[in-house]
Amino acid sequence: MSADALATPRPRRPRARILVRVAPGLLLTLLALAGPLLAPHPLDKPVTAPYAEPGGPAALGGDQLGRDVLSRMLHGGSELIGSALVVALLVTTLATVLGCFAVLRPTLGRLVERGADLAILLPPVLGMMLLALAWPGGGRLAVIVAAVALGVPYAVRVVASAAAPVAACGFIEAATASGERLWHLALREILPNLRATVLALFGLRFVAAVYVIAMAGFLQLGPQPPEADWALMIRENAAGALLNPWVVLAPGAAIGLLAVSVNLAADALAPTAGRHAVTAR
Amino acid sequence: MSEAEIARAEAATDRVAASAPRRAVSLAARAGVVLAKRAALLCALLAVVFAAIELLPGDAASAAADRGESAADTAARRHLLGLDRPLWERFGDWMTALPTGDLGTSAGGERVTDLLSAPLPNTLLLGGAAFALTLVSALALGCWAAARPGGPVDRVIGFASTVTLALPEFVVSVGLLLLLSLWTGWLPAATMTTADGSPASWTMLIMPVLALAVPQIGWNARIVRGALADQAAAPHVIAAHLDGLAPRRVLLRHALPGAWPAVATGAATSTGMLLGGAVVVETLFNYPGLGTVLAGSVADRDTPVIAGVVACTGAVISLVLLGADLVRARTLGARP
Amino acid sequence: MNWTRRQALWAGGGVGAAALLAACGGGKDDTASSSADSAGGTPRKGGTLRIGALGRGSATTRDPHGVQGNESDYLIIALVYDTLTAPGLKDNTVGRLASGWKSSDDLKTWRFTIAKGATFHDGSPVTADDVVWSLRRLRNTPAGAGRLPGIKAENITADGKDTVVLVSDDANADLPLLTRLSTFVLKKDTSDKEIAKAPGTGPFKLDWFRGGNARLLRNDKWHGGPVHLDAIEVTMFESPQAMANALLGGQIDVASNVGAVAARTAASRKDIQVTRRPNDMAMPIVMRTAEGPFADPKVREAMKLVVDREAMVKQVLSGYGTVANDILGTGDPAYAKDVPQRRRDLDKVKKLLEEADFDFSKTYELVTTEDIAGLAESATLFATQAREAGIKIKVVKQESGAFYEKTWLKGDFYTNYWGTNDSVVFFASKTMVTGAGQNEAGWSEKQFDDTYRKVIGTADKKARATSLRELQQIEHEKSGYLLWGMADGIDLAAAKVRNLPKLPGYGRVQLENVWLSR
Repeated sequence: MSADALATPRPRRPRARILVRVAPGLLLTLLALAGPLLAPHPLDKPVTAPYAEPGGPAALGGDQLGRDVLSRMLHGGSELIGSALVVALLVTTLATVLGCFAVLRPTLGRLVERGADLAILLPPVLGMMLLALAWPGGGRLAVIVAAVALGVPYAVRVVASAAAPVAACGFIEAATASGERLWHLALREILPNLRATVLALFGLRFVAAVYVIAMAGFLQLGPQPPEADWALMIRENAAGALLNPWVVLAPGAAIGLLAVSVNLAADALAPTAGRHAVTAR
Repeated sequence: MSEAEIARAEAATDRVAASAPRRAVSLAARAGVVLAKRAALLCALLAVVFAAIELLPGDAASAAADRGESAADTAARRHLLGLDRPLWERFGDWMTALPTGDLGTSAGGERVTDLLSAPLPNTLLLGGAAFALTLVSALALGCWAAARPGGPVDRVIGFASTVTLALPEFVVSVGLLLLLSLWTGWLPAATMTTADGSPASWTMLIMPVLALAVPQIGWNARIVRGALADQAAAPHVIAAHLDGLAPRRVLLRHALPGAWPAVATGAATSTGMLLGGAVVVETLFNYPGLGTVLAGSVADRDTPVIAGVVACTGAVISLVLLGADLVRARTLGARP
Repeated sequence: MNWTRRQALWAGGGVGAAALLAACGGGKDDTASSSADSAGGTPRKGGTLRIGALGRGSATTRDPHGVQGNESDYLIIALVYDTLTAPGLKDNTVGRLASGWKSSDDLKTWRFTIAKGATFHDGSPVTADDVVWSLRRLRNTPAGAGRLPGIKAENITADGKDTVVLVSDDANADLPLLTRLSTFVLKKDTSDKEIAKAPGTGPFKLDWFRGGNARLLRNDKWHGGPVHLDAIEVTMFESPQAMANALLGGQIDVASNVGAVAARTAASRKDIQVTRRPNDMAMPIVMRTAEGPFADPKVREAMKLVVDREAMVKQVLSGYGTVANDILGTGDPAYAKDVPQRRRDLDKVKKLLEEADFDFSKTYELVTTEDIAGLAESATLFATQAREAGIKIKVVKQESGAFYEKTWLKGDFYTNYWGTNDSVVFFASKTMVTGAGQNEAGWSEKQFDDTYRKVIGTADKKARATSLRELQQIEHEKSGYLLWGMADGIDLAAAKVRNLPKLPGYGRVQLENVWLSR
């Protein structure tokens, strides 16, 4: 092993390899979107005994009401993916804008730091419960807001630390001296230099959002019955895991697969330089 | 956040501080200042928590009400619990009693210190074990992966950490329960306690620790791997390599020390997840810890209990963060 | 009888209705594990029973008269302390600390005699003063008015050393029944600080209590007779699932109130006994009668006809329950079994709704909670069934706190649950008479009120029974309750456990007669 090998970023991947790595995520998303069309049964109609074993009308058995697990699986992905996508977009956008301004305005920077310090002390579960409880009927929207609120403080730190060296560059200092406006500096001068970081951030934020939304679903926050949702399915049906293991294993595997395939895609798309800079929530 | 990135940014400031004279004195003073800052943050957080509970529908008096209770009875209970006093007054009372170790009384009439006396050590045990496992595994995996960048081991570990970091604890927990207990009977499914409130057997800790640690190992292994890659580009590591030292020695003796700050920050961040986020794991394995107390007290709007739990976990997290700060300061102080 | 409403842990409180042991364990001793005589054989002294009960660490309480949110706490308290009376198998109410009771002719003054030889764990005898002090302490808690309804604190007095006199404001033939749940007796002038360690009079003494779990030791001098077990270890479980897992893995001997899914999981295990206690939990759908879309009795009847009761019991309760007939109090010996069972009739639904000018274009919100297993599922399945008749129902799941603040007693359409299935009269007085404190549907029906007054004011048994039958007929026809079924209470136990209490509801805490074989 040489130090050079350790240090040198891997060469950019050829297009075909990128495609291979992006394909699983795309496929899963497509499947989740088209799922309701493929489902053999309606999502709320009992077709078999509660927690019935696979077979007969239900290929993956029945859930706690005897509804078809396979149909509910096919119905339950699109909203989870949709919500996670919204959260990832919001967090990345907010964090990027705030981060760019934070490096130019030390007061804002300090505020962001303190916010992140405060957030790190709050058990995430408590934060989620408080927000969703204070807003009954908020449903998915409440969970999205909670996930965004929990994600932004950390993400801003990432962007800010990536932007700090850029802001210290000669050309920005020159622009500042020539009296450029703040928003112009932030969005026109700094942002374009952060493309790699932002892309990588988005990928990991998506995975983190799946995690947070799944957690929220497990804590009874978010989707309303009879909606199908992978996280909700695991929680609702955990009691019957011994009677029909698929009712828990199938959505568990789906969440795992989703996370992995999205991460693969993010790894493939984000330039290497930005990638390990963003290794986190 | 990017532990690696933040650690790098903070390291830059630390370097300036470390180059100043009277390093030891400044270190102690800095620790004091940091400690005070963290305490102030914790107070602010508790204020936020008190206010937030107030905003929720219902209160502790109505949560504790019997079905047959009239509005007047519930009002009497409200008065008994002191909930008819203004929020700031209750917060003030609770905060001023805090230094004496008094955490108030729950809606059920129990002293909060009594309620937490068994769960807190249990949570520290569970969290501590999961933290140790996370740190050791993440370091081992990260170093192993960094030994041959781009090699098969690096790729497998990268993939595996990706898989685990996104797996919510409840997915891991249910899988472990089925696999190690219900189907095979190898491990006890539920945690039973002894007279002192602690788990009756260490085997009862295995599954909860694994369930908590697995996602964190995923995150932290990536951080270690990333920080080592950064260090590989550092001049002194390249120099060490050019000196002809063995690659393993370069990795462990030269690259790893420089990676400590990032690793420490990352691990410290995991503490919050391990302590406060344990509610699901605790419920599934019937582990008597703080997480379930927290969830139950939120459902009951039992503010003193919630605040007690937040104060405990907040204090622990603050201490770990302080520890991470010290590691960072030491590492950067030890090198030019 | 009342219990903390928020914590859904409380099932049952039944009158009559003998529980039956369903699936039975095999084991060596076949007769001992069959339902008829799981009590069979000669009780063997000794052994430690490990029992699991539901509870939450944040809600533990040591005060026998305090807020009871945890089954585990109640179990411990009920074994260490005695109530005046207790639920019984043949009679609703049997004596415990009281050996007998008598009422005046006007059913207002009740005299309870304290059992001979009853002593506290520290050896001192129980006096009427101790009982009076304890009952007054209970009465003066915020929940006291509900737990001893109609009895003012000053109307609880001692008469001599061993008689306690309770005077009710109104005639109340059921008064001894009200003292079954929480009239725990402590020594006079026990201070609040000493409550946790205060000696009781019960069959077991407290060895230790820690974080909701406890170990209890046999009280050799219990006034109620010999106690078989050496000790009982109570473990608190946050979730029924974890409790079921612990039982399946042999970590505990009894899983108390663990639910239908656990029973099905254990059904294939020969070494586990499953106890079913019928009529344990009512999960009615409440329709507001005072105003709103369900004010028209025809609409309410249509809703009661649209539900497929058999399917509800089969899918929601996994079959561990019974179909009900929109009358609350199914466990009462006086329950009117002869009122014709209402069945699904979609044609009639259509006709009734057309007559009532029901708005089919609107979507109606059915509010539910996840307080107890199956509740949200029942709402979901009902909505699905109603859609088959063209009625659009959207299920809205509320968090418990929000539900009790915003929906309970106020909403147009919501699910609710009653784990205390005491009697027909109990439900009538609490939830259906005009102006009742928990009149959940806002119901006011003169005919019902008049009949109710006839029932409670009549001493003659036959005349009372006739009125009671009439009361239930009116309830069946017009009330705001759609009661589709009753869930069984389910306990699991290892094969060696004998003579588990067969009583529904909180009668299951009476573990003094339990013994372990081998």
